[in-house]
Amino acid sequence: MAKSRLIGNRTNKMMVQAMQQRAFDVRGRTFQITLLAMLLISLFILTVLIVDVVIDSWGILTGRPGGFLSGTMRSLSDDPKQGVHQALVGTFWIAVFVVVLSFPIGICAAIWLEEYALKNRFTRFIELNIRNLAGVPSIVYGLLGLFLFVKGLEGLTGGKSIASAGITLAILVLPIVIITAQEAIRAVPQELKEGAYGVGATKWAMVRSQVLPYAAPGIFTGTLLSMSRGIGEAAPLLLVGAVSGRLGSNSGFFDLSGVTAEHFMAMPVIIVEWVQNSGRDPGFAEAAAAAIVVLLVFVILMNAAAIFLRNHFEKKRG
Amino acid sequence: METVTKTIKTDQMQQTEPQAGPRINLDIDHTVQSTMQADTTNAAENAVFEIEDLNVYYGDFQAVHNATFTVYKHEITAMIGPSGCGKTTVLRCFNRMNDLIPSARIEGRLNFHNVPIYDPRVDPVEVRRRIGMVFQKPNPFPKSIYDNIAFGPRVTGIAKKKSDLDDIMERSLRRAALWEEVKDRLKDSALGLSGGQQQRLCIARAIAVDPDVLLMDEPCSALDPIATAHIEDLMQKIKDDYTIIIVTHNMQQAARISNRTAFFTTHFDSTTDQRCGLLVEYDRTETIFSNPTDERTENYVTGRFG
Repeated sequence: MAKSRLIGNRTNKMMVQAMQQRAFDVRGRTFQITLLAMLLISLFILTVLIVDVVIDSWGILTGRPGGFLSGTMRSLSDDPKQGVHQALVGTFWIAVFVVVLSFPIGICAAIWLEEYALKNRFTRFIELNIRNLAGVPSIVYGLLGLFLFVKGLEGLTGGKSIASAGITLAILVLPIVIITAQEAIRAVPQELKEGAYGVGATKWAMVRSQVLPYAAPGIFTGTLLSMSRGIGEAAPLLLVGAVSGRLGSNSGFFDLSGVTAEHFMAMPVIIVEWVQNSGRDPGFAEAAAAAIVVLLVFVILMNAAAIFLRNHFEKKRG
Repeated sequence: METVTKTIKTDQMQQTEPQAGPRINLDIDHTVQSTMQADTTNAAENAVFEIEDLNVYYGDFQAVHNATFTVYKHEITAMIGPSGCGKTTVLRCFNRMNDLIPSARIEGRLNFHNVPIYDPRVDPVEVRRRIGMVFQKPNPFPKSIYDNIAFGPRVTGIAKKKSDLDDIMERSLRRAALWEEVKDRLKDSALGLSGGQQQRLCIARAIAVDPDVLLMDEPCSALDPIATAHIEDLMQKIKDDYTIIIVTHNMQQAARISNRTAFFTTHFDSTTDQRCGLLVEYDRTETIFSNPTDERTENYVTGRFG
């Protein structure tokens, strides 16, 4: 309609009129509203989740936050010494294992794939498989951990220990670490690499001085985010043997001997445990909610660290 | 590494010496007019690059067909021609920058001071240290001005001490006519400089490792006329110390600054249905612009290209 009016009778007056009549763009507006609605739906779900958890756990969070963090697992929900200490220690050390194992291995593998590997069919095959591994259900990694680290390498890991769980989760997040690091490395501009080569840099000098500093913010954000996903996993930990009973008493947070000790607890597993207990003792529901809040705070702290590191390295790269 | 390269050099010199000098190509279809009678007397000793029957392929695609020409010492050699004619590809062969493109393949002879730089025994890193490059888009490293210049001397091991680096710093920046503008903010990020300053910084970075040749890939195409004039001035000043090869889209620039000009065009091969770059004519710049031999050159330099 508007078109024919302009082309058919292109007088000055018609053009001015056409330009001044702003047509209502129905499809564009609908699209925009749909996008906003989808965003609001996801935000709403998240808000409901968080509000629900916080309300459920309000009594513990306001009543005895310190006691809950330092308390241990009890058989009755109204035990004043009940808390998440063992689980927090377990999750903390599992996180340490993930950082120490999966970050260096994953980042090195990513550098190799992006900068050194020949771009041939074999490399593409490897990359495809890494992508597939990232999609393997976590329970499968739990099975691997059970047979390889709990049974096979019992002498080293101490069996159903934090060490076994940490190695298992490190392998679980390894493909994601490789993929995110690869993406960060791929984003390094070709001009920078050519500039470095242009003055006679070797490949090693180029990677060290250009690729790594430029990719560092992306690598750190990606890897830390993948770790916060990893430490929320419950399924593989159930298989490698996180247990509620026979846990050591209130050991120190940085007591290394606990790492290979038989029996451990972790945040996701304690949540599962308490939710199950809430059937016979409704008080456990509140404890489970409070444990969820603790885990969320733990993950938020790690994401904050990721953002801090990213800003730090971005500032450094100028 | 140094000794190995030197041995190769002497080896090759003995092997290739008798072949040095201009040659006549009788293939009429793809004629490369290397008409430099005036220079034949001392051509061999003044030659920096001798290129003979250079063919460059990207996978199955041939980008450059049988280019033959010689680049001389302390001259500015310009490569002109329409887009896709292979001039940048040829430029990137001079310092083995095409090695970075996995599908690129090079055939023919490309000698740098009589050393065939595509010989398997030649280290491309050493080649690039002697043949510096300035790119189309200014590409300073996201580091300080100081670290940009110091990068080359550091990675190549020319200078490790702070005092040596400071010397190189000032000398390179002065040569690139940038010293006065940046001497008080060497620790500032190079990304805060203007486009023209960034490009001069890149030139300073290239000459900080004291190369023999400077390759410039359309160094002024992203700059305004004032910054362009700066760079052209600078090229005239430094050409006594270096040999400069410049790719440019700007014919006036080639005419203004260069001693010799190579005109490339795209040649359509009807048998393979592919376009490929072809060196049409190479001669003294005045000849190319006032009295070219080939009709295609004349059409291009007079703006009647078609």
